[in-house]
Amino acid sequence: MKAKLIQEYIHYTLEHNNTPQSVYLFAKSVGISEQEFYNHFSGLETLESEIYQTWFEEAMHKCTTSSPWNDYSAREKVLAVFYTFIESLKPNRSFVKFLKERDFKSLPKWPAYLNGLHHSFMDHVKPILNEGIASTEIAERKYIDTKYADGLWLNFLFVLKFWIDDTSPAFEKTDAAIEKSVNLAVDLMGKSALDAALDFGKFLFQNK
Amino acid sequence: MEQNSIPSTKVQRAMRFVKTGAQIGGNYIKHYSKKMVDPSLSKDELHENNANDVYNALSELKGSALKVAQMLSMEKNVLPRQYTNKFQMAQYSAPPLSGPLIVQTFVKAFGKTPQEIFDTFEMKASNAASIGQVHKATLDGKQLAIKIQYPGVAESIKSDLKIVKPIAFRLLDMNEKELEKYIKEVESKLLEETDYELEFKRSIEITEACKHIPNLVFTNYYKAFTSNRVLTMDWLDGMHLDDFLKTNPSQEIRNAIGQAMWDFYDMQVHELKAVHADPHPGNFLMQTDGKLGVIDFGCVKEIPEDFYLNYFSLLIPEIMQSATTMRNIMLQQQIITINDSERTQQIITDAFTKMTTLLRTPFDEEEFDFGNNAYIDQIYALGEEVSKIDELKKSKEGRGSQHALYINRTYFGLYSILNVLQAKIKTGVRNWKKPLIEYHLTKLN
Repeated sequence: MKAKLIQEYIHYTLEHNNTPQSVYLFAKSVGISEQEFYNHFSGLETLESEIYQTWFEEAMHKCTTSSPWNDYSAREKVLAVFYTFIESLKPNRSFVKFLKERDFKSLPKWPAYLNGLHHSFMDHVKPILNEGIASTEIAERKYIDTKYADGLWLNFLFVLKFWIDDTSPAFEKTDAAIEKSVNLAVDLMGKSALDAALDFGKFLFQNK
Repeated sequence: MEQNSIPSTKVQRAMRFVKTGAQIGGNYIKHYSKKMVDPSLSKDELHENNANDVYNALSELKGSALKVAQMLSMEKNVLPRQYTNKFQMAQYSAPPLSGPLIVQTFVKAFGKTPQEIFDTFEMKASNAASIGQVHKATLDGKQLAIKIQYPGVAESIKSDLKIVKPIAFRLLDMNEKELEKYIKEVESKLLEETDYELEFKRSIEITEACKHIPNLVFTNYYKAFTSNRVLTMDWLDGMHLDDFLKTNPSQEIRNAIGQAMWDFYDMQVHELKAVHADPHPGNFLMQTDGKLGVIDFGCVKEIPEDFYLNYFSLLIPEIMQSATTMRNIMLQQQIITINDSERTQQIITDAFTKMTTLLRTPFDEEEFDFGNNAYIDQIYALGEEVSKIDELKKSKEGRGSQHALYINRTYFGLYSILNVLQAKIKTGVRNWKKPLIEYHLTKLN
């Protein structure tokens, strides 16, 4: 029923070029009682927030059950999550675009309808990053490494916005944007000249 | 992971070139200050330093810039040899696509992952091409090679070429206007190369027309697994030129392979009037039994009829004897223009006659030994000499038709591969000269 309500919600929005203005109106158009609606969602905001979350969970499921997943490094896993999620949005591009026009201002803020997505994203990305730290692909840095996932979330929002505005054939530019931005993000998380510089600075400070 | 960071935005890429420009400037200053101390210093070291810096800049780029590096490396006649040695390395290295991007490319093109389509699929690329990479796969017991292209290559080509321009005329001693028509020609070819569906079509056409040539092998292409960014074919065995030579092939085997290559180009130029214009060693697979595999038909130059009738006439002594015909051809090929003074026309015509006389040597005889290093060195030397002629250097106009660009490159590539191969070739088998002689005779009368 939940899935059906989500479908109906998207359908309603596209048909009316506006989201339903009240639970009453929405329930009526679906042909259920308002009470029935509350058995599944506490309100229209919750429903909206669950749309992206559901898509993301589906994309994650697709990712983790595809054959190369277990052989992937942390970097590749993050890339795969990005690609698969963006690809899964395609059938609902008009709806995604509509919501973005309604409210999705500049980063790093994000609209309430992405809160569910945010939760799921963090839940899935953190273990991948920990895996990367365990395999030393990603550098362990005190205080900073807890922020890695937040950084990737912003990267994720950037890609989402990029895709919505992308006009290149087959969204090729979004593919390039994912490849380049995620590689940069993971490079920054890896051991780099920065660590060596910090280490050297610390040494000088302690030996003066 | 093995992927190094690629300067991604236009600004970053532009910065690389600005930096390179500054470095080259610095090299010149270094050179001349050293020379004040040590007058015996040759320009070799300077060229070497410049080549290093330019190469380093280009190797951090991808796609079209890398391709331009390849183009330059093939134009041996305009570049000092230090440049070409460095640039030739560019032909084999390009950073790879990530695994998930490969999967994504397949999903977009065929709605399935490569793992779902093929029995096995190697995620690690076995070869890097300049605008993509090659993966090995198997299906129904057959070994396949799958070429996959980076996303957005076509989109970035135009802006890349704009950035390459200042570097290019610095290297080639040309002004912007002069360079424009050539850049356009290169641009259109590069854009064609990004269309794998077009490559698929051309591969089939040329394969069909040339498969009867002895010792030449082609591969099968699969339409079902081909899109504008994915090209699937049977895996073709064989070694690249340098690895092949390490196996110490006999003279007979080298001749056989060289002959196959020669016949292949003869057929394309004189019959098909469309030629595989990318004869760099990476596109030929040599087998120890004397067979030659040809891959990569991304760059095919179609030869316009009136260009053909004039360009190849320059290689025929009987036609060159007539001063009137010669002049007409030179004008048609835009090597001289009616605006040139008579003196300039004469100087350029003389230099050109000298050059074509040398270049046509293999065509003058029934058999020619490309292993003759003295001959190849003569070409380089004359090339440098010609590029130093003041009338050509100061010229505001582009000399030579833009169609000649890829044809010249093709023959320079062919000559230098045959030279490295040390092959003796029967060059006079096909009688292509007769129709051309008749054409110019009727024109005279």
